Amino acid sequence: MGTRILSVDDSHTIRLIVSRAFRDYDCQICEAANGEEGLAVAAREKPDLILLDVTMPVMDGVTMLTLLKADPVLKSIPVIMLTAESGRENVLAIARLGVRDYLVKPFKEELLVQKVGHIVPLQKKVVA
Amino acid sequence: MTAMNQAKSLDIRQLLTGHIADVFHTMLSLDAIPQPKGPLPNFGERITGSVGFGGDRVNGAMYVHLSIGLAEELACAMLKSAAPQISDTEINDVVGEITNILTGQFKSSLSDAGAGCAMSTPAIIRGLSYQIEPPPGVRRELLLFHCRAKPMAVEVHIKFN
Repeated sequence: MGTRILSVDDSHTIRLIVSRAFRDYDCQICEAANGEEGLAVAAREKPDLILLDVTMPVMDGVTMLTLLKADPVLKSIPVIMLTAESGRENVLAIARLGVRDYLVKPFKEELLVQKVGHIVPLQKKVVA
Repeated sequence: MTAMNQAKSLDIRQLLTGHIADVFHTMLSLDAIPQPKGPLPNFGERITGSVGFGGDRVNGAMYVHLSIGLAEELACAMLKSAAPQISDTEINDVVGEITNILTGQFKSSLSDAGAGCAMSTPAIIRGLSYQIEPPPGVRRELLLFHCRAKPMAVEVHIKFN
């Protein structure tokens, strides 16, 4: 089984872009549309890495991250925050939450792959 | 200069023009070409993405207006899909995400100027004829663009408290 990545974003578009970015890699992408679903999928799937949006309905990314870090089983899963906000204040607030990295939207798919590859191993799919 | 004056002195039109170019180029590989000031174009059937922002020092909302045809083209470009396979839900999601990213960039500029705020999740309006009017005392900026020779407008309503 390849690297398991959980994409948590309320936007179907962003989740699709994330899936597309890793289509050439031996990755299993699972998805959730808000923080509440994200926690449930994280507990069930035990992903190797979580890509987490900030602003979402039901439960936002900051709340999900806080709960994730309080869970003894899930707290070690590395998280990359995807945020539409690049301001100094926002970046500092994200850094304080203990994320491994962050990516500001808009982003290129190559940069996303690069950032993920710095944290978890990514293997290109072998073409038969 | 106080934080409030710093935020008030932001050149909103210049900021948004730069943000639009960045979002369209990075996410869609398309150009959004600024047009001279003018009234909101007649789009025919229109779709509008909106995201609100609010904090102690500033409140407002961002609106991105597109014809349904251009919105469908943008959705195809972002999802790398062909028009017949694009659903209205996907078009709504793409327009909402473009509005969300644009508002996020604008919010960052406001925050860096001392007017921090939070954002709402995107909402979508569709229809043939509607106007979004700001309440009294709210500043309105309307920026016009062309993308693939089709009109597009970005409207921001903003009030500094």
